[in-house]
Amino acid sequence: MGILHELKRNKWLYAMSLPVIVYVFIFSYLPMSAHILAFKQFIPAKGLWGSEWVGLDNLMFFFTGPDWLGVTLNTIYLNLLFIVTGTVCSLCIALLLNEIHHSVFKKVTQSLVILPHFISIIVLNLMVMNFFNGQDGMINHLLKEFGFQMISWFQTPEVWPWLLTIIFVWKGAGWGSIIYLATLTGFSEEYYESAKIDGAKRWQQIWYITLPLLRPTIIVLTLLSLGRIFYGDFGLIYGIIGDNSLLFDSTDVIDTYTYRSLRSTNMNSYSNAAAVALFQSVMGLITILFFNWVVRRVDNDSKLF
Amino acid sequence: MSMRQRDTSQLAVSAAAYLFIGTFALICFIPFWLMYIGSFTAESQIVKGFRMFPTEFTLDSYRFLFQGSQVYYSSFVSVFITVAGTVTAVLMTSMFSYVAAHPKVKYRYILSFYIYFTMLFPPGLVGYYLLISNWLNLRDSLLALLLPLLFSAFNAFLMTSYFRTLPFELNEAATVDGAYELYIFFRIIWPISMPVIATIALFYALSYWNDWFNALMFIDDPHNHPLQMMLRRIVSNSENLDYLNANVNIPVSATGIQLSTVVITIGPIIFLYPFLQRYFIKGMTIGAVKG
Repeated sequence: MGILHELKRNKWLYAMSLPVIVYVFIFSYLPMSAHILAFKQFIPAKGLWGSEWVGLDNLMFFFTGPDWLGVTLNTIYLNLLFIVTGTVCSLCIALLLNEIHHSVFKKVTQSLVILPHFISIIVLNLMVMNFFNGQDGMINHLLKEFGFQMISWFQTPEVWPWLLTIIFVWKGAGWGSIIYLATLTGFSEEYYESAKIDGAKRWQQIWYITLPLLRPTIIVLTLLSLGRIFYGDFGLIYGIIGDNSLLFDSTDVIDTYTYRSLRSTNMNSYSNAAAVALFQSVMGLITILFFNWVVRRVDNDSKLF
Repeated sequence: MSMRQRDTSQLAVSAAAYLFIGTFALICFIPFWLMYIGSFTAESQIVKGFRMFPTEFTLDSYRFLFQGSQVYYSSFVSVFITVAGTVTAVLMTSMFSYVAAHPKVKYRYILSFYIYFTMLFPPGLVGYYLLISNWLNLRDSLLALLLPLLFSAFNAFLMTSYFRTLPFELNEAATVDGAYELYIFFRIIWPISMPVIATIALFYALSYWNDWFNALMFIDDPHNHPLQMMLRRIVSNSENLDYLNANVNIPVSATGIQLSTVVITIGPIIFLYPFLQRYFIKGMTIGAVKG
């Protein structure tokens, strides 16, 4: 059976998939061609193909510059903080929600912990500013009231990895718990019944039954997040840190760095940004393939592809 | 082990659960409440800091906001892109996912990989920027807000894995060649797929409603700014209230205006939330990581 025959036989089905095929070609595959700008000196008037080849100049510029190691390490470090803290918190929320048997209380609290996931980064940024502002922020008000030194949060880079992690957890931990909760409510009662007969305490049941049963889910979700470790959370970080260069030391990630390179008034801004983007895409591809290979070994059914 | 001991261990865990979950739920809720109250608080009070309960109730911030013309432009843009975008995106995604899951389609795995690859090797910011602003020439057009969010690979996977669980023999008898495939999809498949369709619709609607980055990059004309961009403008520069084209005689603080704008942008989400929640918790977990 040839390709044509198959296309003809199911022509209506293939036609249904056509809008997405065309769309993805235009919006994902066409722009991939811009990666070649990493090897060119882009002049808008000459276009993507007409601009001069410059070999590895742009990549050399990035790798010999002062920033590349810093932004790469920041990206990895922040993502590790987010993944580990986020997973632990989501898991705790799921385990504890499962212990709540008052149905109204459970419903209301679950709705509330998921709610922050639904707000925009701009609203989040407004909250963060009102909480952490130097003079009239709520946190500093409280610090002053209890006789502590006020902190100029927006001028103190060291605190931001943790502040961002707290913000990340506040926004996403409840949402992340949905999948764990759904998984663990599916576990058979029999395990727990027999544990009860053996006299296991409730926390022992959680520790020795629920957690081990959840292990495959935890491992797979974590590995899939690790696969994206070279992609910073642009919305969260740029939305909150913005162009506050005082905080770049600890918060600048590959994505925000690329965005700034692109927006800079530097003549070669497109090509510089393209070099960073290419570096990120290649590293991203390698890590995703690696962690997907690991997932496949751990649990073949959960692999991404 | 006696009955009593078992009860105390159960009780301790329950107490910890109520305490911890209750506290975290409060922490999640309080910022919303503070902003909501702040939006009704008079200028003279709000400068003294946020309060859990209103001290001097006023609608001045809202009056100021709704006297200006910007809030109407921005609301229109937000509602328009959210409705038009979500409807189109859900149609496109569901049709594609159905085909990618259909056992009759020989090349369904190639279709899936075609989408997977864009996640493995994303086009990157530079290509994206060039595409929208130079190649498609969409600067300052509403299409620059509408088109980029029209498809999400993640949503397609969620839907495909749901459609794979459907018993396809169900429509085997009805499967004749021709446009009848479309009829089957919309008349048989669509109604039984409501949880996952509602979930995907919610995801798309949120990504449209909460989008600000595309507006930041591509839209300079305030008439085409969505609400989130309007909020960003008045948050990033509090001197910027004249951007709202409002009557300056009402005494308001920048904070009050920001908060009332927040209430307007979050309002519809909170309003729809209870209706959608029962769907998305179900839809999120269908065909996701196995138990």
